[in-house]
Formats: sequence, structure tokens, C-alpha cells
Amino acid sequence: MKKIKHTFPILLGLVFPLCILAETITVASWGGSYLRSQMLGFIRDFEEETGIRVEIADYAGGIDSVRSQVRSYNVRWDVVDFELFDAIRANDEGLLMPIAADDLLHGRDGSSPQEDFIEGGLLPFAVANIVFSTVLAYNESLLQQSPAELTDLFDLRRFPGERALRKTPVGNLEWALLADGVPPAEVYPLLESDAGVQRALRKLDEIKHLTRWWTEGEQPVAWLENGDVTIASLYHGRAFNANQRGVPLGIVWDRQITFLNVWSIPSNVRNPELARKFIRFATSTESIGKQARYIPYGPVRNSSLALVPSDVRPYLPASDGKLEKAFASDPAWWSGNLERIQAHFDRWLRIPTRVPSRLPR
Amino acid sequence: MITFRQSFRSTGYHWFHAILFPLLLLPALAGDTRDEEIRLLRQEVELLRERLDRLEQAEQGRGQQPPATGPQRPAENEPVPLDFPEPQQTLTAVAQTDSEPPIRIKGALRFNAYIRDFDRGGKNRKGDSGFELFRIGVEGQQDNILIAAEYRFYPYMDVLHHGWLGYQFSPDNQVMLGVSQVPFGLLPYAAHNYWFGVPYYLGLADNYAMGLQYLKSGGDWDVRLAFYKNPAIEDATNLNRYAFGVVRVGEQQNQQSNQLNARLARTWTSAKGHSHEFGISGQVGQLYNEITRRNGNHWAAAGHWNAHFNRWNAQLQLARYQFNPKNPSNASDQVVRLGALATHYDIAAKGTVAVANLAYTVPLTQSFIDQLIFYNNYSVLKKDNNAFRDSQINTLGAAIGVGPLFMYLDWIQAKNMPFFGDGSLADEGESSWKTRFNFNLGYYW
Repeated sequence: MKKIKHTFPILLGLVFPLCILAETITVASWGGSYLRSQMLGFIRDFEEETGIRVEIADYAGGIDSVRSQVRSYNVRWDVVDFELFDAIRANDEGLLMPIAADDLLHGRDGSSPQEDFIEGGLLPFAVANIVFSTVLAYNESLLQQSPAELTDLFDLRRFPGERALRKTPVGNLEWALLADGVPPAEVYPLLESDAGVQRALRKLDEIKHLTRWWTEGEQPVAWLENGDVTIASLYHGRAFNANQRGVPLGIVWDRQITFLNVWSIPSNVRNPELARKFIRFATSTESIGKQARYIPYGPVRNSSLALVPSDVRPYLPASDGKLEKAFASDPAWWSGNLERIQAHFDRWLRIPTRVPSRLPR
Repeated sequence: MITFRQSFRSTGYHWFHAILFPLLLLPALAGDTRDEEIRLLRQEVELLRERLDRLEQAEQGRGQQPPATGPQRPAENEPVPLDFPEPQQTLTAVAQTDSEPPIRIKGALRFNAYIRDFDRGGKNRKGDSGFELFRIGVEGQQDNILIAAEYRFYPYMDVLHHGWLGYQFSPDNQVMLGVSQVPFGLLPYAAHNYWFGVPYYLGLADNYAMGLQYLKSGGDWDVRLAFYKNPAIEDATNLNRYAFGVVRVGEQQNQQSNQLNARLARTWTSAKGHSHEFGISGQVGQLYNEITRRNGNHWAAAGHWNAHFNRWNAQLQLARYQFNPKNPSNASDQVVRLGALATHYDIAAKGTVAVANLAYTVPLTQSFIDQLIFYNNYSVLKKDNNAFRDSQINTLGAAIGVGPLFMYLDWIQAKNMPFFGDGSLADEGESSWKTRFNFNLGYYW
């Protein structure tokens, strides 16, 4: 009994400081070296400056979880790092809170957010945070010749071995049609029809039996590093970080697909002001510029460009004319078509391209 | 009784600390936040150092062993782990998610409908149908310990199909102890159809026995070594077993024991992903006779080829087997008695078995059907005893997968095979072809 009496105040002492620092915000983000760039770029600074603790929730795309949280009024994620097409879908379903551009900080050069952010970076329900590309990459130490074009992904004769692609139709179907000779301007009109989707899937059939599907950004990097796959799609910033670790990953910039990630606040969040405070900080000129030191994703504010170190600039998707052969993903189109195409894609994934060795018995 | 006031007095010192402690802790916490970047960078340096160590070790061991880091694709014929729900199984590696439980429960409920040209009553009834099988099983892995087991309920018997515990030394190496599939010839099955072919009815395909198996399946090589103490059911008089093996019934009083198996296969894959697996297998074991109390022996050897060309799959296998029993004088040495599925029959003691299979998976991008595979499986037993008529079976059919449903539609033609009129794997038997049209429908989970 005496022990209990003595222990209780000590426990209270341990809990008390946590109560003092109870102001916490949960941010859903993507993990790996991307999360590292956010932590070192601005999240630690935010914590230090505001005293608000930032919890990170693992997120790998989609709106199912946000929908479930919002509809149950039990919103655990205060801020979500969406791909833009997912944010549009979420907003269409009424799952997001408004974010006023005027609430954001002016640029370091005094420019207003409207002047400073890239085109399309400010939406009533989202604020851009990075521009990134999905590219093809390969392990330079394992190939005798380097792939240089998108079509090399499908060339099993010159580049034998397994492939790795993200387990989503987004990006893969565009690549399939482009590699099949469809002009960029006709890709999305063609995907409007089921026949166009089937054409893309038939092209992917050429490599399906040799393809691994990844769901987390670090997986293709590990597979390339281990020599498990010959060519993989990946977020281009991951290749930069792999190079920094000494892994010789080469990037195929041909038909890189550019995407925009945005910050959004789910509806029914308990403390929207805290979430807005975080976004205001995370989208400052300094935060965006500092993040680019750790991962070469394109800054979404013009005023942040000056803060990007010179050794990182060659990796930016817009540098050295790389955008000339880039393909710009259409987030508005995907937001309206993802559900239809995802069903096709999921079913296609289940269909074997070879006779399975183990049929049900 | 201690009052609250007394309690406060007696613990006043600790209450003081309760207030003081957090105040002392606050600066420390603030300092932690400041040092976080340094801590993260140190962690990163530590990770880089570990990676350097691994690379140096790999460099030293190059040529001696395959890389063992990172996710591995399961070998195509590897019995474990079975990561994919069976009807949806593809050769495409799909990334695992953390939410998958380490041990999964699997099962199936199946029904059969059939009509046989040698069954007049059945023909008059326009065929028969009924419950065929309910099975339940577990499989999975926790840390390096593997488990796989399956129990089957048939209308005429229930039996452990397989059940073993394993240990995975590395992604490429594992051992299995218990009732496991005997590594012989084409794996996992020597046929695409529901009914199987001649090797199964000789105990030379999809056979299970009790013992220890070692499996190494990294890269292009697949090596399997096994020692089996006895068949899955040690009581040789018990016919309630899944896999055909020598049983003690009537004047035939032999049983298998102490069997050694070795199987070596090598796969060549072309740039376009076409693959060719060539393999050789051998097995040898004791054949103990309960009457004479003497040990005979049995052995079998096989060579196989298993190729995938785009959507085509071609398989060939040639196997030779011999049973050399030490029978009493009233029992024939020309046959041995096998049993399973609650029945028994004789087979020729010596023979040669050939298998030729061809299958094609249909591209289905705009259909409700997930899988459609057409196949033709042919197998023949050439018996050494010239007085015995050879046995053959040919199955033309299709396997159809729709979600969790999987169906086999088989047109089975057999000549001198058990379960087809008076067909026999031993003696003269049937001289004409017999036909069975079989439809098997299963729900798998």
C-alpha cells in the first residue's frame, strides 16, 4: 500500500509534462526519404517555433481513409499530403475544408501567395507543396547499356529482366499508350473509352509477367539496389537520395510524368486553426526552399527557387530542358475517372498472363 | 484508517516532486527538440555504416551465395509461402502489406457433376452430382517458423492432406518436418486438370509422406532433398489416405519405409520471359513384407521439362519405376497393391510412365471471367510385363476462375485405368476407351 502511495505521485510527475505539451497535430504523409525531407525541411522547425508536436501518420494515397474519418466525425488526420487528383476527388465528395490563399504567408520577396505560387498551386481546398515526377530508373552497375526512352521499359530483348511499377493505373496507363505510339494530346481522350483502357492494358501485358508492383516509394529503390528488377518506376527524388547513399541509380527523364502534391484539411477536423497554422508554416518560402535541400522536388513558390542548393538543381524535373519530353498528368481528369479505371486495373492485375503452376486443388 | 489529510502529509514529499519533476523536465524536452536533427543525422550515419558492412560482406562472399537482402519473389514451384489466394494466383509479385496476418486460414467447398459412358444407370439418370470435398487449412509464417496444414473431408473418408512445420534459414533455404509433398517430377502437379493423370494413380505425383525435406530454391536452381520414414498414414492397412502408396491388403502384405528423394531443377529464362525448367528426380526406399519379414526395395527416376511461352505452357515427363517385393510364394511379384481414397488396386510392379501436357491461358480483358485456361493432358503407363495392357488417360478441358469460384470442365478418356469400368494399372483390364465428363465447382477462400 505504501509503495502505491509513493509511486502514484511519481507517475503523475511523468504524465504532467505531457499534459503541458498536449497540443498535437497529426499529418498524413508518405514516409521514406520524402518524409525525411519534410521533417528536416520544416516539421522540426515548426515544432520548435510553435511548441506544437507533429505526429506523422503513414499514408499511401487514396481517399478511403479520409472519407471514413470525416463521415464518422472522428478525424484523426489534421492535415493530409494528397496527390492533387485525390484532393479533387475528396473535395468533390465534400470531405475537405476551405483554405483561403490570403491566410498564407507572403513570399520572402514580398510577393503575395497568388503571385508567388505556381499556376494551379492554390485551390479553394488545397495548397500545393511539391512538384514531383514519376520516372523510370535503373541500376547503372547492373546494365551494360542504359535505357534512355520510355519504350525501353517494354523492350525485353535489349533490357531483359524484371520490372517494377507502382500498383496504380495512374501514370502506368499513360505510359503504356505513349509507348504504343499514341500522341500525348490523345492519351486522355483515348482513356475515356473502355477500348482505350484495354489498349493500354494490352500494352502492359507485354511486361506483366515480369512485373512487381510496389505500393510504397522505397520499395522500387530497394529492388533496384538489390538487383531484383532491371527497370523500375519511382518518384524521382528517391533516386537522388539513393545516389547520395552511393547507389548508382540512373534516371530516364523521357516521358517523366509530373504530379502535384497538395496540403488539405479534412472536414470535421477538431482544430482547423492548428491545421491552417501548420500549412501556413509548411508553405512559407523558407520551408519549401529548405525541404528542397533534402529531396529534389520542384518548389511550388517562385521565391523558394533561390534557396535550392546548386547540387540539387540538376535533379529538379524542370531543369536542363527535361520538361520538353515530360508528360503532364491531368489531375482533374483522373479525379473523375479513377474509380472507373481502377476497377478495370484491379481486375486486370488478377488475370494471369501465364498458365499458373498452382491451380486450386 | 488513513484520512486524505494524513495521506497528503505522509506523501507530501512525493507530491512536491510531482510538481518539481515536470518543471525540471521541461528544459530537457526543449533541448531534445533542438537536438533532434543531430540525432536523425546520427541515425543516418549509422544506417550508412550498416549498409557499408553489408556491401563489404557481399563483396567477400560473391560467387559463394546469392544475395539475401530485400524482398524475394517466391520460386514458381515453391510449396511455401503461398501468398496468393488460389483462384487469383498470378506469377506477378504483389507487394505485401502489413495488415496481412502471419497465419492464414484457407479452405474450399467443392461439388462434382459427372456422367460416364460405362455407367448405364448414371446415363439413364442423365448423370450424377454431389458433394465432393470440404477442406480447411492453415499456412503462414511467424519469424522464421513456417506452418502449413490441410485437413480434408470427403464423403467416404476424412484425412490429413498435408501438415508440416518448417524453418526458413534464408529466403532461399528452408526445411520442412511432417507430411509434405514428395519432390518428384513435375511440381506441384503433373497435370492441369481436376482428375490428374497416370502418375498420380501410381503414387508418382502429388504424393505426400512423413519425413524431413530440405528445399533450396534461390535463383535459377531448385534443389529438394528429402527423407521419408513412411507414407503420410503409417498404418499400411488403412486405406483412408489422400496419396496413393503401397498398402497391406489380402495376400499383398508390403509397405513402404525409409524413402530417400532428390530432385534437381534448373530454369532458363529468355529475355522475353519465356522459361524452360529441366529437372531430374530420383527416389529409392525399402519395401517391407509383413509375411516374410524381409525387405525388398523400390525406386523411381524421372526427367521433366516445363516450359512457358507467353500464354502457353508445355510439359513433358518420362519416369521409370520398379517395385521389388519379397513376397511369399502365394503373392505375385508382378504387381504391387496401392491404396488411397478408401480403395485399393494393383499396379504393374515395373513400368515406364510418360506425360505430355499443353495448356493455354486466354487473354481476358473484357469479361467477367478472371481465368480461362484450356488444356490437354495425356499420360501413359507402359508396363514391363507384356501380358499386361498399357494404361492411358487423356483429358481435354478448361479451368475457369470467377472471383472465389473455380471450375474444372473435363472430358476424360481413359483406357485400362482404375475407376473407368474394369480398367487396371496391373493386368489386361479394359481394351477400349472409356469416357467420363466431369464438372467440378469449388468455392475457395
